[in-house]
Amino acid sequence: MPIAKHSVLIVDDEADVLLSLTGLLRREFKVFTANSGAEALEIMNEHEIHVVMTDQRMPTMTGVELMQQLRNEHPEAVRIVFTGYADTRAVIDAINNGELYRYLTKPWDPDDLIEVLHQATAKHDELVAQAKLRNEMEGYLNDAAHLASQANPEDVGAEFLTEFNSKTEQLQNCLQRSGDG
Amino acid sequence: MKVLVAEDSPLMRRIVVSLLETWNYEIFEAADGEEAWQVFLNQPVSLVITDWNMPKVDGLELIRRIRKANTPNYCYLILLTAKSEKGDLVTAMEAGADDFLAKPFDAEELRVRLREGERIIRLQQRLMRQNAKLRDTQAALVESEKMASLGQLAAGMAHEINNPIAFVINNLAVLRRELEAVFELVAKFDQLRQHALDAPPELLQEIAEFEEQCDIAWIQEHLAPLIQSSTQGLTRVRDIVENLRDFARLDQATEEELQLSRAVSSTLDILKYMIEEKNIRVELDFDPVPKVLCRPDKILQVIYNVVRNALQANEVGDSLIIRLRRRRDCARIEVEDFGCGIDQEAMSHVFEPFFTTKPVGTGTGLGLAVSYGVVKDHGGEITIDSEPGQGTTVRIDLPYKPSSCGTPAPQPIAAI
Repeated sequence: MPIAKHSVLIVDDEADVLLSLTGLLRREFKVFTANSGAEALEIMNEHEIHVVMTDQRMPTMTGVELMQQLRNEHPEAVRIVFTGYADTRAVIDAINNGELYRYLTKPWDPDDLIEVLHQATAKHDELVAQAKLRNEMEGYLNDAAHLASQANPEDVGAEFLTEFNSKTEQLQNCLQRSGDG
Repeated sequence: MKVLVAEDSPLMRRIVVSLLETWNYEIFEAADGEEAWQVFLNQPVSLVITDWNMPKVDGLELIRRIRKANTPNYCYLILLTAKSEKGDLVTAMEAGADDFLAKPFDAEELRVRLREGERIIRLQQRLMRQNAKLRDTQAALVESEKMASLGQLAAGMAHEINNPIAFVINNLAVLRRELEAVFELVAKFDQLRQHALDAPPELLQEIAEFEEQCDIAWIQEHLAPLIQSSTQGLTRVRDIVENLRDFARLDQATEEELQLSRAVSSTLDILKYMIEEKNIRVELDFDPVPKVLCRPDKILQVIYNVVRNALQANEVGDSLIIRLRRRRDCARIEVEDFGCGIDQEAMSHVFEPFFTTKPVGTGTGLGLAVSYGVVKDHGGEITIDSEPGQGTTVRIDLPYKPSSCGTPAPQPIAAI
């Protein structure tokens, strides 16, 4: 059975661009399109989207504005902006603020674009794995601490148990600190 | 100061000349109007003292001719005559005389009138110099205004063109891939045909005819190259847009110190094939010049454009001279060719985008426009001297440190 395709949402107010990119990406990705930031937000709420790629220059909501909103509402989606040259300033600011994964210039190279999207989906999987790790680690460590407290020092060795408890505590501290960041 | 004295009476002429001699004027004498006119044509005299009544050409006619000649330097005209009625004065002034001196006159009077003439001439000269300066300034203003609006136009155009180019290049990539799929499918169907024993013969016939009609073999052979050449064409358009953006100077990048002599040598390496092909004698005349703080890639591009233009202008066997000069505030690069030169009409357009005199397809008309933009951006100056048929010298002055040395923009590379 083939591995499920990653889903990509393309946002551009120009229908030609949406059609063109759908043609390029449809074989390797599950492609969604939106012609505005508002429509993109709707789609994000209805479907599981792994990568969002948006044009910067659109009426009512710019690409960077859309990305700022997505960062809060759908942090697991990897964000890419493509843009002409005149409006790079806003995009560079967005990158520096950690709002974007990548920025591409128009015109893009089709092969490069596909490559970037593969990297982005890999990044998405990595982010999801990290999130899972973070979310489940706490319960797991609590369980581990609980188990250790039930264990008989004579069965497992007192020295090992002390070491195990101290390691569990260390990891719990680490987890707390990484959660703060 | 050169003074012409036109007087048919030898005695009178002698008197005037001897007076002038004591006041240290450089004097030319003429015995009649015609002779005076000839002197005037051959000598840049600033002041003319002429008698009214003379044989052949009289004083009035001489004055009219001088005024009509419209020489670049103003000539002050004093009419000397026995006539003294008011009507005469009006006639003389209307003919173009500046002053009017009735005979007999005394020496003092002639002296102050001459001094007055000298003052007017000096004022006139000053006015002319200022006028010329004003004209130059105005021309420079018009030029820079023109280039600025062209820059804006270019920036707007570059942005608008980028959008359609983006999806058309992408479409071609899609078409190329999908057509391959279609061809593959066609090939499979072709194999299938041999097994389609139950197929209606009319349909098989129809397919065979259509195949011949559209020449499927040609399509399969040529569609891929057609798409590829379209992609290449678009890439060229994209590069032109890129150049236009350079002309419009939309980007900022980091500045570095550049050794101009090295920049010239590496440019000559790149253009070696042209130099050898045309058998050009390259003469390098380099003064030691300090390094220049600039955007090296842009300045290299300017040098490349200018040197390439020079090589293209040169005929086989001509010389190319490149000079480096150390000036007070700037380094000067001079590129001189001995080719066809630039006529006056073309000269007024050389820095405009898309202006080219090269055959269609060989030049985009952006080389000098981009160079102009880059050099201006560095606070420098690019000027051209040219004599049609003799050759052209392009002069690039680059300040050692551009005043507009801003903070470098952050590089648009991204990470999460």
